[in-house]
Amino acid sequence: MNVFILIILAVFATTGRVFFLILLAIVSGWFLSYASIEEIYIPLTEIFESVPVISFFPIVLLIFVINIGGELGIELAVDFLVFTAVVWNIWMGEYQAFKTVPNEMVEVSENLNMNIWQKLRYVYIPFSIPRVAANLFPSVSDGYFYITVSEVFTVGTVQYHAFGIGSLLMEFYSKNEMQYIFYSLLIQGILIGFVIVLLRQYSKYAVAKYTLDTDAPIIRRGRINVRTTTRIISTIARNPVSRLAGYYRQRTSYKIKKEEFEKEEKRYNIGKYLVYSIGIILLILIIYGSLKLIFSIDRSTWMKLFSITPEILLYMAFDYLRVLIILLISVIMAIFIGYYLAMHRIMEAIFVPIIQIFSSFPPPLYFPIIFGITYPFIYHYFGNFYTEVYVLFLGFISTFYYVFYSYWIGVKALPSEYFDIMKNLNMGTLSRLRYIIIPGTFPYLIAGITSTINSAWGGLMIGEYWPYIVGDKSLEVQNGLMKFIDVNTLNGNIAYAAWASFILAIVVAIYSIFFTKKMMDLAKKKYVAEEGIFAT
Amino acid sequence: MPNLSDAGREEYKNSEFILEAAGIDFTYSNGYKVFENVNIQLKENTFAAIIGPSGIGKSTLLRILGGFLKPDTGAVYLKGKKIVKPTSDIILIHQSIVTFPWMTALENVMMPLKIKKIPNELAEEKAMKYLELVGLQGFENLYPKEMSGGMRQRVAIARALAAEPTVFLMDEPFAHLDELTAEGLRQDIYNILFSPETPLKVVVLVSHNLTEVVELADEIFVLNNIPATVIANIPVTISRPRNPRSDEFNQLLDNLYTHLTPPRIKTR
Repeated sequence: MNVFILIILAVFATTGRVFFLILLAIVSGWFLSYASIEEIYIPLTEIFESVPVISFFPIVLLIFVINIGGELGIELAVDFLVFTAVVWNIWMGEYQAFKTVPNEMVEVSENLNMNIWQKLRYVYIPFSIPRVAANLFPSVSDGYFYITVSEVFTVGTVQYHAFGIGSLLMEFYSKNEMQYIFYSLLIQGILIGFVIVLLRQYSKYAVAKYTLDTDAPIIRRGRINVRTTTRIISTIARNPVSRLAGYYRQRTSYKIKKEEFEKEEKRYNIGKYLVYSIGIILLILIIYGSLKLIFSIDRSTWMKLFSITPEILLYMAFDYLRVLIILLISVIMAIFIGYYLAMHRIMEAIFVPIIQIFSSFPPPLYFPIIFGITYPFIYHYFGNFYTEVYVLFLGFISTFYYVFYSYWIGVKALPSEYFDIMKNLNMGTLSRLRYIIIPGTFPYLIAGITSTINSAWGGLMIGEYWPYIVGDKSLEVQNGLMKFIDVNTLNGNIAYAAWASFILAIVVAIYSIFFTKKMMDLAKKKYVAEEGIFAT
Repeated sequence: MPNLSDAGREEYKNSEFILEAAGIDFTYSNGYKVFENVNIQLKENTFAAIIGPSGIGKSTLLRILGGFLKPDTGAVYLKGKKIVKPTSDIILIHQSIVTFPWMTALENVMMPLKIKKIPNELAEEKAMKYLELVGLQGFENLYPKEMSGGMRQRVAIARALAAEPTVFLMDEPFAHLDELTAEGLRQDIYNILFSPETPLKVVVLVSHNLTEVVELADEIFVLNNIPATVIANIPVTISRPRNPRSDEFNQLLDNLYTHLTPPRIKTR
């Protein structure tokens, strides 16, 4: 087949996968949100949201590739990995929307004796559209990132491919076919640019049509206005704040209703059983996979697994240090750049779309080129430390966007009165950041930091061990958990990889419960800027 | 006294007024001309009110007086000094009550003092004084969300006072309060603002509530027409405390209503 046609088909296959999975997440989210019970749904979603997608990798391999096998198994494995990456944002956004439907609207739907489908169709789904639109940007970026990573994976001597731009590029890189690499990146870039424009237009449409009481202007066909889009994004971007503040308020009225209406009780029960069923199916799959793994391992291997645990913990400490450095650099840059752009409309109109397109362009696709060009200089200045520079850089470009975008939206969403007060009191930049901007955007920062940490792991997963990244050169760190998992997966030593992933998942879950949730609770209690404005 | 260079002649002028708006013209970015030759002059210890039909530009005028918006022509002067940007000498109190939810009442009020690099101990002492002045002693450690609307507005006023401004610009400060709370705060506000413990010299209030205006103001400016200009400047000589049931109070109210006809487009 002609290579160009192959590239175009691969780009479309990857994009199709991303959009199909996002669509699946949206539709499933509507039903789950309607039926959900917050006691289970919220903690589960919050924990999964902050667990790196890599934690799912060994389970995915086991269930889909080894048990199902064939093209279907590979396709399902890739899709499941990406699904886990994109689904949580979307589900949480929809859930928030469903829980914040104004009581008056719900009363009207009950007044008209709407059934569940009618309520979904006429009330809940339309109301959730702006939130879905707001979550499409990060979900598409996430989707592209993980799909390009997941399209090729190696277990032991077997390399698995799912057709797409990620796997095609790996092939071009291995054959050093630079001209095809450039064409692939160009075509992928054009498509991503097109997707971004499409999403922006859709966001504008969604806000103009579905948001209650907004000053967003009516959309006229064929006009793209960056400034308007910026305003729209800040209008619809209530997700982080609502995520922290919204549902607790709603929970009360929901419970009162539950007690008051037998019908509601029935619906609640249907929902409960639905969620329980899905949960049980997932649990059975995980237990089945785990048991299969456990029984396939003999006692001596178990002893080995326990004996390498301290080593794994040490590697994890190295990786947490890397994540911390990436996070610090990202947060500091985001705070200053985000504030500067939010304050300067022209610069914002130029740079925000650039950052947006850049962020949707998966780093695994273009990183080898950057490596190839910069290697002599970086090696010259940093010596053997060069691998760390590249790994941190890869982590940074994979993740900076999340905290920047979240924080920038937070600054845009701050009440305009705060800006009047900052001007009125002649506050300097540092005072503004210290007293108002950073506390006022705290919920957004926490949401952004959570996503940043998650994606930093993704960056490390690729960067810590990348054999033959360009020509005969490999990128390989001395110590790192992601390298450990990568190398053991590659050598077919799934038990070691799974054990390391399992320990990582436990640590991350503990971290999520004791740190992320605590910070979110703090943000919810204290740092919701909207609560500072009192207006009846 | 400032140095009067050639450029300085525009920046400073000798003035007996604390706040002066001279020949203000202003046009919105969409081309709609809001003001034409608006002139306001306010002497020391004046509580002025600006009234006018809805949409005439009262809040816009407040923002011009505060340096938040730059007039097309004309200028605003504070004690003879031209105002070219927002300054902590002229503080704006918003219609929506603005507090910082992550700070206690005390921390809210201390913020302007900290920005001026006043040592913590002194800042706290001053903040407590202003909280006491607005009647919030004992509530200093509450967060805004733990307070009623009226208390929150008192915090906002105390924070504004802590900046130690010369002029207060109040944009419908009681609009979001229930009538009882608003009435309580209205009764206190004049004494709070012109207490010897504050450096305030002038207050400008924008309001739709004519009873409130007559109750509080020493001088009333009526804005009307398109583009708007000051069509009447009415001194209020009724002695304080003012009784809304008195004849002279109601006569003045009637007089104000006669000025608030729907705006007419000026022909040239």
